[in-house]
Amino acid sequence: MCKDYVYDKDIEQIAKEEQGEALKLQASTSTEVSHQQCSVPGLGEKFPTWETTKPELELLGHNPRRRRITSSFTIGLRGLINLGNTCFMNCIVQALTHTPILRDFFLSDRHRCEMPSPELCLVCEMSSLFRELYSGNPSPHVPYKLLHLVWIHARHLAGYRQQDAHEFLIAALDVLHRHCKGDDVGKAANNPNHCNCIIDQIFTGGLQSDVTCQACHGVSTTIDPCWDISLDLPGSCTSFWPMSPGRESSVNGESHIPGITTLTDCLRRFTRPEHLGSSAKIKCGSCQSYQESTKQLTMNKLPVVACFHFKRFEHSAKQRRKITTYISFPLELDMTPFMASSKESRINGQLQLPTNSGNNENKYSLFAVVNHQGTLESGHYTSFIRHHKDQWFKCDDAVITKASIKDVLDSEGYLLFYHKQVLEHESEKVKEMNTQAY
Amino acid sequence: MPGLSSGQRGGRAGGRLQRCLGLTTTPPPPCVQPCCRPLCYEQSERRLHKSLQMKMEEMSLSGLDNSKLEAIAQEIYADLVEDSCLGFCFEVHRAVKCGYFFLDDTDPDSMKDFEIVDQPGLDIFGQVFNQWKSKECVCPNCSRSIAASRFAPHLEKCLGMGRNSSRIANRRIANSNNMNKSESDQEDNDDINDNDWSYGSEKKAKKRKSDKLWYLPFQNPNSPRRSKSLKHKNGFSVCTSASNTLPLLFSSSGELSNSDPFKYNNSTGISYETLGPEELRSLLTTQCGVISEHTKKMCTRSLRCPQHTDEQRRTVRIYFLGPSAVLPEVESSLDNDSFDMTDSQALISRLQWDGSSDLSPSDSGSSKTSENQGWGLGTNSSESRKTKKKKSHLSLVGTASGLGSNKKKKPKPPAPPTPSIYDDIN
Repeated sequence: MCKDYVYDKDIEQIAKEEQGEALKLQASTSTEVSHQQCSVPGLGEKFPTWETTKPELELLGHNPRRRRITSSFTIGLRGLINLGNTCFMNCIVQALTHTPILRDFFLSDRHRCEMPSPELCLVCEMSSLFRELYSGNPSPHVPYKLLHLVWIHARHLAGYRQQDAHEFLIAALDVLHRHCKGDDVGKAANNPNHCNCIIDQIFTGGLQSDVTCQACHGVSTTIDPCWDISLDLPGSCTSFWPMSPGRESSVNGESHIPGITTLTDCLRRFTRPEHLGSSAKIKCGSCQSYQESTKQLTMNKLPVVACFHFKRFEHSAKQRRKITTYISFPLELDMTPFMASSKESRINGQLQLPTNSGNNENKYSLFAVVNHQGTLESGHYTSFIRHHKDQWFKCDDAVITKASIKDVLDSEGYLLFYHKQVLEHESEKVKEMNTQAY
Repeated sequence: MPGLSSGQRGGRAGGRLQRCLGLTTTPPPPCVQPCCRPLCYEQSERRLHKSLQMKMEEMSLSGLDNSKLEAIAQEIYADLVEDSCLGFCFEVHRAVKCGYFFLDDTDPDSMKDFEIVDQPGLDIFGQVFNQWKSKECVCPNCSRSIAASRFAPHLEKCLGMGRNSSRIANRRIANSNNMNKSESDQEDNDDINDNDWSYGSEKKAKKRKSDKLWYLPFQNPNSPRRSKSLKHKNGFSVCTSASNTLPLLFSSSGELSNSDPFKYNNSTGISYETLGPEELRSLLTTQCGVISEHTKKMCTRSLRCPQHTDEQRRTVRIYFLGPSAVLPEVESSLDNDSFDMTDSQALISRLQWDGSSDLSPSDSGSSKTSENQGWGLGTNSSESRKTKKKKSHLSLVGTASGLGSNKKKKPKPPAPPTPSIYDDIN
């Protein structure tokens, strides 16, 4: 007997299985699973650490030039060649490939192709795009296949011309969502409320619209799925800014200079109760009469990745122009005041500061900014993306350069991408509900 | 006797530790060495004891006396220390035994390859800006190698979505029809035709076709490019220039062809001097025919060509065909520009250099830049983006102004309307 500790594969396998069983038992006996408990892995699901197998070990042994990714590494960054007015596409690709949760999904090879032919699957192409961009190759990638697939599947975008990045984002998400389900043509009833494809898990939020009847105060609520929030800006003909900026203390730590509009101001305006005029009377369900009403939008369910779109391109009857007003946006954003659950505290338009600011559930961090320079007719898109946790890089098609946080926050901002700071596990109950409904 | 029990436990733990540590290559953490164990160990133990006491007071479990409390504290503490130290050691032991301990080692030289560069004028890889002109890719539709920065316009034409695609398709069809008419000896033999129009043998084909125009250099006299430069040159009507002063010209009016017949060529029209009256007549039934003052050639665009007026066209016809000549009825879709090829491959190869060649007058501003692009001079695409006059496509969701909003010179159906003429083509 060598008196040493030995590790036997078969016994370990048995141990693993038994442990799994024990944990499952533990989970099912708990009657109520709160969010806090769920954030600890091991309740119902165990996440084992990766262990190498023998052939992998041999392979790794033959390759001694191993590198560990440090925060000064270029791996994960790569330029994209402009194929002819495709800067809008390049920016969105950079933003998507640097979305942490999406990156984790694709780099761990979690996509299983459902499409009849994988060459036409945009999700497969996305997967290969991640591989290319994280390969460490310094020469820029040519995303011609992506362009081809997008033109095939989103015909309204096809054509050699400058296009809108936001429009491209929505179209791309739509095609990805369809292809995750293997739906080529969009015929199936795609109800995002019950879809659990990766795109819906990450990007879909619920926008709640409450219409309150002025007479009986009955509220009719609808919840619509949304992938982004489009915000009106001051200075547009159609916008109405009832609050002067500077009246409220800054909620999100934005540098509050009077006269400068912030993202929070825009969101406040977006979620304010709007009085629908007498010309827009709505039939109230409870008192069965046509009454004036107020409508209010709030967030019912927050997506993991929130995309904010500033409506900088104005197409009104009298003019078409780009609104270049600078909007200040924060690195960290707390969406609690804009939730449906916070609605009651907003009496008379006064915004109550969140009382439970220790709660991290609704906190977001900025990770990508897409900017547009130029005019309505012609311009150029560039993006800032966050990599290695706190470093920012400017992506101008094929050229990637280091940028400072100040550069990012001083930029005009057209599309802003925020990522939730704390991800929650779905409790077993919620999972069951979802699968049944689907 | 708490001291004894903790000592025993510590001793046991220490023994196990030593055994394990003998198998590793890393030195053990200092504070688990038995000699210095007492100092920090007991301090932390005291802290744990204190906090436990406070907790117990909160929970009002004051039944336990002090010594038992201390025993519990020590036990818990010992477990914690054991777990953190031993656990670590076991992990290392396991890594060594299973053979994956070496994986943490990295190669410092190759680590340097990936360091981010932060210098002006260079990107993060240390490369100079704007050196990516020569990138190429393979078109998924036609499997040809295309310059990356020209891929989007190429793909547009390749998929038949461009503003000119239908026009070009019509030309091609009209051309093949023309071909069949003028070379009756080849009409029956499809194989020969295919050979003629295949990618490689364009030169030969052209030679054969333009027997009568043999001195024309190897160019397609009628590429849309040509017409564009014609537009720039602003050809004048024949009234002012034609009468007596037209010398016999060979068609190289200043512009040279490239050695590659598929690249853009610059001849701008048909040299009419060499055409016989019959040919002239047939040409004039389908083409604009107005003679450009600069190039002294006939305009090869359609009968509705916007560059020239009907008056000019009438004048040309009268000049050539006598006073009785009449401007023919304009058909809707035939552009007989005598293209030499029916093969779409060859056509598209030529057209890939065209940029967004929209010949409608509204785009005169943009055509110049696309000309530059068409030459493949590798201009930075951002320049062309800024100078190009663009339709309003930066729109909100759902209101995208698609291709339909672009003005077309004349509404062209993608397929010619008269079936009878084209029966033999397809």
